[in-house]
Amino acid sequence: MLERGIKKTQILDRALIPPCQDACPLHQDIREYVDLIAQGRIMEALKVIRDRNPFPSICAYVCPHKCEDKCRRGRVDKPIAIRALKRFAVEFGGDRMVRKEVEERYSEKVAVIGSGPAGLSCAYYLRILGYPVTIFEAYSEPGGMLRVGIPEFRLPKKMLDFEIERLVQMGIEIRTNTPVTSLDLLLEKGYKAIFITVGAHQGRRLGIEGEDAEGVMDGISFLREINLGLNPKIKDRVIVVGGGGVAMDCALAAVRLGAKKVDIVCLEKREEMPAGKEEIEFCEEEGVKINPSFGVKRVIKEGGRVVGLELVRCVSVFDEKGKFNPKFDESEKTVIYGDMVIFAVGQMPKVPEEFNVHVERGGTIKVDPVTLRTNREGVFAGGDAVTGPASVVEALATGKKAAKRIDDYLRYRYPLEETEERPKIEPEIRQKTVEMIRKIERIQPPLKSVEERIERFEPFELVYDWESAVREAKRCLRCGTGAEIFYKEKCASCLTCVRVCPYGVPVVDEKGEIEIPPSDCLACGICVSECPAKAILLRKPADRRQVDLEISALAGASKKDGSLHIVGFACHYGLFGEGSLSYLFRTPKEGIYIVPVLCIGKLETEHILKAFELKAQGVFIAGCGEGRCARENTDAFAIRKAERAKKILERLGLERERISVFTASEMDIEKKLEMFIERIASIILERTLKEEK
Amino acid sequence: MIVATKKPIEEILVALAPYESVLILGCGTCVTVCNVGGEREVSLLHSALRVAIANSLMQQKRFHEYTVKRQCDREFLEALKGKSEEVDAILSLACGVGVQVLADYFSDIPCIPAVNTVFMGSSSTFGIWDERCAGCGECRLYETAGICPVTRCNKGILNGPCGGAKNGRCEANKEMDCAWLLIYERLLKLDQLDRMRKYSPPRNYGNLKRPKRVIIT
Ligand SMILES: Cc1cc2nc3c(=O)[nH]c(=O)nc-3n(C[C@H](O)[C@H](O)[C@H](O)COP(=O)(O)OP(=O)(O)OC[C@H]3O[C@@H](n4cnc5c(N)ncnc54)[C@H](O)[C@@H]3O)c2cc1C
Ligand code: SF4
Ligand code: SF4
Ligand code: SF4
Repeated sequence: MLERGIKKTQILDRALIPPCQDACPLHQDIREYVDLIAQGRIMEALKVIRDRNPFPSICAYVCPHKCEDKCRRGRVDKPIAIRALKRFAVEFGGDRMVRKEVEERYSEKVAVIGSGPAGLSCAYYLRILGYPVTIFEAYSEPGGMLRVGIPEFRLPKKMLDFEIERLVQMGIEIRTNTPVTSLDLLLEKGYKAIFITVGAHQGRRLGIEGEDAEGVMDGISFLREINLGLNPKIKDRVIVVGGGGVAMDCALAAVRLGAKKVDIVCLEKREEMPAGKEEIEFCEEEGVKINPSFGVKRVIKEGGRVVGLELVRCVSVFDEKGKFNPKFDESEKTVIYGDMVIFAVGQMPKVPEEFNVHVERGGTIKVDPVTLRTNREGVFAGGDAVTGPASVVEALATGKKAAKRIDDYLRYRYPLEETEERPKIEPEIRQKTVEMIRKIERIQPPLKSVEERIERFEPFELVYDWESAVREAKRCLRCGTGAEIFYKEKCASCLTCVRVCPYGVPVVDEKGEIEIPPSDCLACGICVSECPAKAILLRKPADRRQVDLEISALAGASKKDGSLHIVGFACHYGLFGEGSLSYLFRTPKEGIYIVPVLCIGKLETEHILKAFELKAQGVFIAGCGEGRCARENTDAFAIRKAERAKKILERLGLERERISVFTASEMDIEKKLEMFIERIASIILERTLKEEK
Repeated sequence: MIVATKKPIEEILVALAPYESVLILGCGTCVTVCNVGGEREVSLLHSALRVAIANSLMQQKRFHEYTVKRQCDREFLEALKGKSEEVDAILSLACGVGVQVLADYFSDIPCIPAVNTVFMGSSSTFGIWDERCAGCGECRLYETAGICPVTRCNKGILNGPCGGAKNGRCEANKEMDCAWLLIYERLLKLDQLDRMRKYSPPRNYGNLKRPKRVIIT
């Protein structure tokens, strides 16, 4: 009874929300799936992604990844390539095999108007909640902008078909070629709730002279025609007006359709352009010329056809308040020639008047931000139709939220916005720590050659191979999972943690107490395994893997007959992720038992002794090696712990050579293991001989 | 702070031989700081003893682990009340003070020390401990620039240096800095070199009655 019982701390989760997760509209557990990829647990990574994202395979292609902009690794070198890792997880984790089981629990029918990502996501979650759902789509094929906006080379339509097929299998009805003109009709037909997600499909125009010229069109129509297989006629010299993602897509599409020269004209300075950095680079690689800081004054016509644009220098796009309010320098004018002009300067929603919902200036639908309800009873709205042009992931997030709010409404529950109860980690890392973190180059997924790219409308970004994905995933700092002095009352202020931390994280605070600032800790676990008071815990339960329990599970393995029994603690990342230790599990050997540990820096001396208590004849510790390990000094501390255990063995009259530490970088792990087995065998032989004497 | 070292485990094995149910008791203060008697060491010693049993160096026993805040004050031992009945002996990882308070508190249970208490000192680098005070009762650190000749001079002389230092190292122990040289250098820095001239009379060992007691009024 004096022993401490099974600790509740085995399951206690104290992890903090990292900025990547905070920035993601779907609040996906990025840190977790990235780490699972690093561990080589790809199917589990996919499961974590699917947990919060209804269509990961789509996001894996097109997400503008706000998470990466906020990633703290960006303060050290470059952010983690989160989107590319998601793509890897989706492809290697077998997303196509996943099937969601649903059960119809309620009879209230829900209508979703529009089959864009917001509508699809809402239908998906409503179906999981147990409602019968029908989606009404005006076009002949479902998908919204995923179908008619985003070009094939950015998102292959077969991915979309695949996701939609899954929804149909879940029992969601999709009626295409069915534009909804009146909500009353739907209500009459017995739908108890309606979700409007009609998107923003109306291309904006600038309202300048000559806009009506032949050869001028808007970007949305241009891409829609391409996506619907209408093969719009392309001219030799194309000018795309706009600096956003749609403009880049138009330019890339024009290149693929065979335009000889493509220019982009935009108001913003190059670094202010709203399009993603990568997209802009793709355009330039393919020979598109970007003309930043220009406004279009008028379209120059000849015989009713466009021949060029008159441009005027734009000196600033936003005013002091940060509002869109472009200023021009009329004295600097120029002309750019072209025989086709595509205006990609924004889109607006077009909501049928007969819907009788409150529409604001700019054409967006007005909703209550918490409940997503419109002015009409039982009618909800979301997606681009409410926010104006945004992104797929934002549409997915509102769709998901709408499903919950509609469920609240139909079940007569008070709608409560779920808030993350966990505290967030600060975005900053102390400069001192930043300097101590080893720089590791970001690995980009491979791209097809430019020549290959411009040939056809096919995706040109390829998937990581296993090794690159795992190496990229290992760069994650695992923000917010670090060490915590959990048992404050036990801390003896011994300063061990302060002195052993490779990153200088623990500090003596102004009250004279020891503190581990969560925003600086890299969760290497060294202080945890060194604290003499056992006062420190890692915040994430999975990191506190119960190694002792795992060794106990091996207890039955020890044989009475004295045949070989060796326990090897090996780094999980090296065994199953990066694979430098994979030999150990690929080639099982009689009498050798491998216990995976999440980095040997977390191993404790007790674990080594525990193996001997359970009759191991020898123990080895295998790590990935300095440089390969994502953290510092883990080898050195594993050696230290082994040394401590060796001393105890010696005192007990056992040979110190029974313990060995080897790292994958030193030499061939296979040879090391063989030598170790030989060594243990000879120790045992000598012992038996001695005893016989 | 009090610094101790681990006793050789052979010695502990011998001492524990007669007992069947043993409480391994850690102390959460000084010996935790010097890495010999805190909660981690308790579980390490426990594991080591189990290895000993597994290798039949010792007969089967029941062990219990516990760590109190401080063994040198009885109030902290209250936590063990009602739990002590089960045990035949207590293996204490506290300093000599703790073991004695423990023995006094549990007058009918044998208390066995698992560490050797060695000195009062400090650590400036992870894992290294140095003696700094001998508790002589006549502190002269003011005279000696804050460097104690009683503990840090190998010969403990009060009017040094002896003259045998070479390259700043003590002639009796080449690993050690000559304490008096350190004193000289620091006095020089403080511009107090005249203190070197002052004669310190020998310590009056007659005054050192044992055990000492302090009464605060
Ligand atoms: C060219 C282009 C590229 C883009 N690239 C990206 C990207 O890389 N990454 C990213 O995150 N986002 C991108 N976006 C933005 C993204 O596609 C949109 O934000 C997202 O699709 C909005 O989803 P939604 O469901 O609100 O609307 P939509 O996807 O627009 O879907 C609305 C649907 O409603 C239907 N509908 C409209 N009226 C009716 C009616 N009366 N009855 C029935 N159905 C109706 C429409 O036909 C349409 O199918 C891009 C957009 C465009 C145009
Ligand atoms: S380093 Fe990892 S946990 Fe931290 S913000 Fe980046 S992806 Fe998220
Ligand atoms: S190592 Fe443990 S006991 Fe020592 S200061 Fe840190 S938390 Fe406190
Ligand atoms: S030693 Fe490792 S786990 Fe502990 S504070 Fe430092 S980085 Fe965090």
